[in-house]
Amino acid sequence: MSDLDNAIAQLRACRPIPEAQVRELCHKARELLIEEGNVVTVAAPVTICGDIHGQFHDLMELFRVGGDPPDTNYLFMGDFVDRGFYSLESFLLLLCLKVRYPDRMTLIRGNHESRQITTVYGFYDECLRKYGSANVWRYCCDVFDYLALGAIVLGASNTLSPPNENVSSEVYEEEDIEIEVCNADGDIMSRFTRQAADQKSPNGIPARTGPPGSGASGSSGGSNGNPTGAVLCVHGGLSPLIDTVDKIRLLDRKQEVPHEGAMCDLLWSDPDEIDGWGLSPRGAGFLFGADIVKVFNHRNDLSLIARAHQLVMEGFKEMFDASIVTVWSAPNYCYRCGNVAAVLELSEDAGGEGVLARSNGEVGRSDGGGARGVMAESESLLKSGPARRYRVFQAAPQDSRGMPAKKPVADYFL
Amino acid sequence: MSAPQIPNLLSLRGRGGARGRGARGRGGFASPAGPGSHDTVIQGTDTDASVSRLSAVDLGYLEDPYARYFVQQNAGPPTRRLPIINRGTYTRTSALDRLVSTFLFGGNRGDGEKRQIISLGAGTDTRPFRLFSRPETRGLIYHEIDFPAIAAKKRATVQSIPVLRSIITISSELADGTWGNQSLANESSYYCHGRDLRDFAQSTPPSLPGIESGIPTLIISECCLCYLQPSEAKSVISHFTSLVSSAALVVYEPVRPSDPFGRQMVSNLAARRIQMPTLELYPEVTDQQTRLSEAGFQDGTKASTVEDIWRKWIPADEKERVDQLEGLDEVEEWELLAGHYVVAWGWRGQGFEGWKDL
Repeated sequence: MSDLDNAIAQLRACRPIPEAQVRELCHKARELLIEEGNVVTVAAPVTICGDIHGQFHDLMELFRVGGDPPDTNYLFMGDFVDRGFYSLESFLLLLCLKVRYPDRMTLIRGNHESRQITTVYGFYDECLRKYGSANVWRYCCDVFDYLALGAIVLGASNTLSPPNENVSSEVYEEEDIEIEVCNADGDIMSRFTRQAADQKSPNGIPARTGPPGSGASGSSGGSNGNPTGAVLCVHGGLSPLIDTVDKIRLLDRKQEVPHEGAMCDLLWSDPDEIDGWGLSPRGAGFLFGADIVKVFNHRNDLSLIARAHQLVMEGFKEMFDASIVTVWSAPNYCYRCGNVAAVLELSEDAGGEGVLARSNGEVGRSDGGGARGVMAESESLLKSGPARRYRVFQAAPQDSRGMPAKKPVADYFL
Repeated sequence: MSAPQIPNLLSLRGRGGARGRGARGRGGFASPAGPGSHDTVIQGTDTDASVSRLSAVDLGYLEDPYARYFVQQNAGPPTRRLPIINRGTYTRTSALDRLVSTFLFGGNRGDGEKRQIISLGAGTDTRPFRLFSRPETRGLIYHEIDFPAIAAKKRATVQSIPVLRSIITISSELADGTWGNQSLANESSYYCHGRDLRDFAQSTPPSLPGIESGIPTLIISECCLCYLQPSEAKSVISHFTSLVSSAALVVYEPVRPSDPFGRQMVSNLAARRIQMPTLELYPEVTDQQTRLSEAGFQDGTKASTVEDIWRKWIPADEKERVDQLEGLDEVEEWELLAGHYVVAWGWRGQGFEGWKDL
């Protein structure tokens, strides 16, 4: 067993590794991450995860539900640390897995992967408490600076593969299922076909066929066999300074998250039911509306933006005709919120022919990439979205997972 | 171990300065309650509240020069709460302050008219010190009621701190653990009664010295009646309202125990052995209003979640000031948490005219 495998085993047991080993790990991770672009290209199949926030036992539950790495490819959209009590073990385990299986683990940066935020929301204190000095916090922060800002998933199929061995693949070939929601045991909770999504209500607004609370409608109108567009993964959202994915590639990311500007916005912004851009109640980043997302997706040949950053009680929430989805992977967030969590599974496109058509940010857009056409023209111009499986799970049971004697107790007003 | 220096999120971002001290401890999560009776656990909630108040004061949310005297000075810096807790403490305090100020100073209060406040489960509340140190406070009779142990502790604190002693000079040790001063400046008086509130739910409730029946009286329950059995809480309310002709009640309590956040809240509090029996009886905001109507406050009842109060009562410039103190990354969590607390108020009789415009 290599040192790395030993470290993985130790961290899986929620035991921190020695400071010297952290230093070495962070050094290796930096050498690896420095080679990655600001926007990492990832091939489906992949399981996309949202915020973890140091909830280590729930991360173990996520791996149980989504499949163990490296058997399942994972893409984590940031916010590994802060708030929960095991930021250190959670982040170091993910980092070990990244170093051990670089092509099967993708980590991108969240707004909490920052020196400033971690001093307020817990990770700094945790490192100090567990090591007696801030060295490990410093090593980790140096890694944060090298994390990619986003990822592009290519080759996602518009047909799902079965969620478990007991389900045959026939139904997916016959019924054109766009969205499937499974519980933690892989049982199918609900399914939504593209045909249903095409039924429009009398006022021309697509019928909302998504799962309760998801707002998913799947109006993209794709049909079986058509290649799907690419999926952009980013922690927060869009920026008024970024109109193409290529502009993300041009940023100088190797720094602390700035207070403003494109890099800050990508990590801090939120979609909202507004027109255009709005001020964010978070004091950093922006709010952006459906029009912004649709124009951006069209211009960049994207079918979907997957992002995290916002707590959603149901674990995931599709918005704006399924052009953007929020994925949240920290169940019972802060041991207080009572929410469930989810991961998003994208299957591999068996045909493999779609890849050529899926490159993003290149020439050859039908309308020259301008904002003019997309809103006026029919929605059929938007790329058909990939088939999506959400696996929804709850917080790991506290007692059976070796929780500390002092159970975490959240604050209330008393 | 605490960080030697916790920088302020927004001062690091370079927007606006930090008020308060530089060095603070951190305490995102309260430690579980130690062994003891249920009463001890409930008394412990007062410590929780006073620590939260000091955190909000230290960070500049609230101005309260008296808050620090009521927090046990352990070794190390005072506990700092997370931004949503600080904002909640601020919003709750602002709401109560506004209702109390409007009652005391608003409306068309005549020159010689007096006002009375009865604060149930007052604990280490600093409001009497804040009010009696204001020159415009006159003709105010202020009663606080809490467990004998809490009342005695408050007495000891007031006696040992010169600033507090100068505002409320303890002149009388009345029978049955009541202390206070019957002749404060501006025709005011203060009484602190060491009583178990449940005694007032008995068929022959004890009488308290100093209660005046003929003047408008505001009864306050900030997270207090919710710890009693529903029938006891009802009896306590009906006892105190029966003592006076014009009465109002303000309650501040959790609501919505049945949605996912609420269920988790109930279970987390139960893990600290805190039960809130009335929560099941008044699960929604409107139930609190109905409760007040049924208790006889027929001239008006209103209720608002803490989240609504933050959005509607706090002026824009004040919101901006508060937002700049720490920054708040926990937007969704704030809406959840603040949506699960309600301030409800109802009144009957004279003296509450100012509330009609709130």
